Amino acid sequence: MSGTPGPILEVRDLHTQFSTLDGIVRAVDGVSFDVARGETLGIVGESGCGKSVTAMSILRLIPRETGRIASGSIRFEGEELTTLTEEEMKRLRGHRISMIFQEPMTSLNPVLTVGTQIAENVVRHLGVSWKQGRERAFEMLDLVRIADARRRLDEYPHQLSGGMRQRVMIAMALSCDPQVLIADEPTTALDVTIQAQILDLMIELKEKTGTAIVLITHDLGVVAETTERVVVMYAGRKVEQASVETLFDEPLHPYTRGLMRAIPRLDVEADAAGTRPRLQEIPGLVPILTQPIIGCAFAPRCGFATDRCRRERPPLIDAGAGHLVACWEVDRVRRAA
Amino acid sequence: MSDAPVLQVEGLVKHFPIQGGLLQRQVGAVRAVDGVTFSIRRGETLGLVGESGCGKSTIGKVVLKLIEPTAGKIVLAGEDVTALKPGAMWTHRRRIQTIFQDPYSSMNPRLPSGTIVGEPLENFGIARGAARDEQVAQLFRRVGLRPEAMRKYAHEFSGGQRQRLGIAKALSVNPDVIVADEPVSALDVSVQAQVLNLLIDLQEEYGLAYLFISHDLAVMRHISHRIAVMYLGRIVELADKRTLFTQPLHPYTEALLSAATAPDPKRRGLRKKIVQGDVPSPANPPPGCHFHTRCLYATAQCRVTAPPLLEVAPGHHVACLRRPVGGDPGPLSIPG
Repeated sequence: MSGTPGPILEVRDLHTQFSTLDGIVRAVDGVSFDVARGETLGIVGESGCGKSVTAMSILRLIPRETGRIASGSIRFEGEELTTLTEEEMKRLRGHRISMIFQEPMTSLNPVLTVGTQIAENVVRHLGVSWKQGRERAFEMLDLVRIADARRRLDEYPHQLSGGMRQRVMIAMALSCDPQVLIADEPTTALDVTIQAQILDLMIELKEKTGTAIVLITHDLGVVAETTERVVVMYAGRKVEQASVETLFDEPLHPYTRGLMRAIPRLDVEADAAGTRPRLQEIPGLVPILTQPIIGCAFAPRCGFATDRCRRERPPLIDAGAGHLVACWEVDRVRRAA
Repeated sequence: MSDAPVLQVEGLVKHFPIQGGLLQRQVGAVRAVDGVTFSIRRGETLGLVGESGCGKSTIGKVVLKLIEPTAGKIVLAGEDVTALKPGAMWTHRRRIQTIFQDPYSSMNPRLPSGTIVGEPLENFGIARGAARDEQVAQLFRRVGLRPEAMRKYAHEFSGGQRQRLGIAKALSVNPDVIVADEPVSALDVSVQAQVLNLLIDLQEEYGLAYLFISHDLAVMRHISHRIAVMYLGRIVELADKRTLFTQPLHPYTEALLSAATAPDPKRRGLRKKIVQGDVPSPANPPPGCHFHTRCLYATAQCRVTAPPLLEVAPGHHVACLRRPVGGDPGPLSIPG
C-alpha cells in the first residue's frame, strides 16, 4: 500500500471515440469518477453504454487503428496514464493495475500451462527467479481455492472448467499485488452456482489484499451484492452515482429507475400462483452514438422529459450526501415515488 | 388452460456418441438427456431451467425433431411423432415452432425481413403474393414492428427488434407449441422486459403453449406456470412455480435459488453457500444420484441408487432419495 492520500484512480472528463464508416462513435462522452483505495466501485449499464470502453481506456487498450482517447485525464496514484508510452503502460498492466475479462479462455494462452503463465507475469514484473515465480503461482492458485493446486500448475487452460479458468485469471491478476483490479463482466459467462462462488471469492480476496476493484457489469444483482459505490452509465455518459445502498433505496435518474423496474425479481414475494404481473418496459431504443446527442441522452425514452431535457445536457448535481444525478427533472422524479 | 396436453414427452433419452481411436468406433456417449418425462397444456408455459450441460437445449431440439431421440416418445397434439421421418414430420411442423437466443444467425442476410417472416406462410401453402404480404404486415403490427419495416434487412434491426421478427415468424403458421430457447438472454434488461411482456400477451391471446428454456431463474419465475429443474440430463424437481420458489425440495433446486443474486444490497451476505465445485461432465456422470458429488445431504445410498422422479405432493415431483412420498418437507439434515 502506498501512503499517498486521496483516490487511487481519478478519471476526469474522459472522451473516447472510435472512427467507423458511419462516422465518429462517442463511446465515452465526458465521464469522471474516482476510485478510492480498497473500495469496490461498480460501473453498470446496458450494451453500448461505454462501460467496457471506459475500462479499456484506463488500461490504454483502445485499438489504435480505430479508436483513441480524444481528451480527458486518467490519473493512477497521481500519475497521468494518458501520456505514458506503451512500454511504461506494459510495466503497469498486470502489475499495479490488472484486469479480468468475461471469457477467460480468450485471455489465457492455450499452449502454456497455467503455472507458467502466472509465473511469467510474476517474473516479468517483480524480477524474481523462475523458481520463485512458480512458487508464487502455486500460492496464488491455492489462494483462489483451486483444489490440488500443485498438480494444476502443470495443466493447460483447456483442462480446466470455466469456473476454474476464471479462478486462474483472478490468481494471475492478483499475483503481483495490484492496487486496482478491473473486472469486466467477470461472471457473466458462468453458471449461477459458479458465479456465486467467484463473487464470494472476489469479495474475500479484496478484504484480504486491499486491492480496489472496478467491477463492470450489466447485472444489477451482481452490483448489489459486491460493490460499495456505483456509477450508472447511459450512452457514454455517467447519469447517476451513489453508494450502493442509496442507489437501490432511492434511484433518482429515470433510467436507473426504469432498469430496476424492468428486471424480473426473485427476492420479492411470490405472486399468487398463475398471475404474471407485467414488467415495466423502457420504451424505445438506446440512441445511435454516431450522431451528436443534444440535451439529455435518455430524453427520447423518458416519461419525465421536457423541452429543456431535449435541448440542454443536464449537469451532474449533488442530490445529497454525494448522490450525483444528471437530470433536470430530479425533483419531479423524486416526488413520483 | 385446457387439460389435454398439447405436448407430451415420455422417457426421452438422447445420447450423443463419442468416437475415438483409429477406426472412430464409439467409445462412449454423452448422456445429454437421460429419461425425461413432462407434458404441457394449451396456454401453459413450462420452464426448463438448469446450468450449462444439463440437457435443456437438447430437449428443445429433440421435441422439435431437429435431432432424433435415442429412446422415448414425443406426442404432439395427440399424435405420436417420435418415429416420423422428416417428410412425414413436415406436416406437423406447423404445430411446433421455435424462437432462438440469437435470431440473427437464423435469418438470411440477403432477404428483406418481410420475406423472412412470410417464408413459412408460403412453405406451408397458407398464403401467397398480396395475401401473404397482408398477413405479414399484420404479424409485424402484432409483435410491435411497423409494417414499413418489412422492406428492411435483418442487420438493420436492433437485437430486440430481431427477436420480434423471430417471434413473428414463429407465429405466422399459428402453432400450438413454441419452443423458446433462451429467447431473452442476449437482450439488454430494458428490451428483455419488452419481449417478455410480448410473449405473455401472445400466449394469452392465442392459447400458445411455451416450452421456455433458460438459465435465468428470475426470468423463469416471471414467465412460467410450472418449472422443471434439470441437472445432468435428468429432471430433479418439477412443480408449479410458486411451490418451487417457496418450498423447493431438491437440494440442487435449493442451491440454485440460493446462488442467484438479488438486486438488493440489504440481502448481501444472506446467500447460503450450498454447493461447491463444478458440474461433472455429462459424458461421465457420477453414478447414483448425479448430484451426490456436490450435495451436502448425500448419503451412501445416494452414491449408488438413481432416485426416481416421484410425486411427493399433488403436482410436486422430486427425484431425491431423502424426500420420500409423504415425507416431512422441512430442511434436510446433513449426514454425519
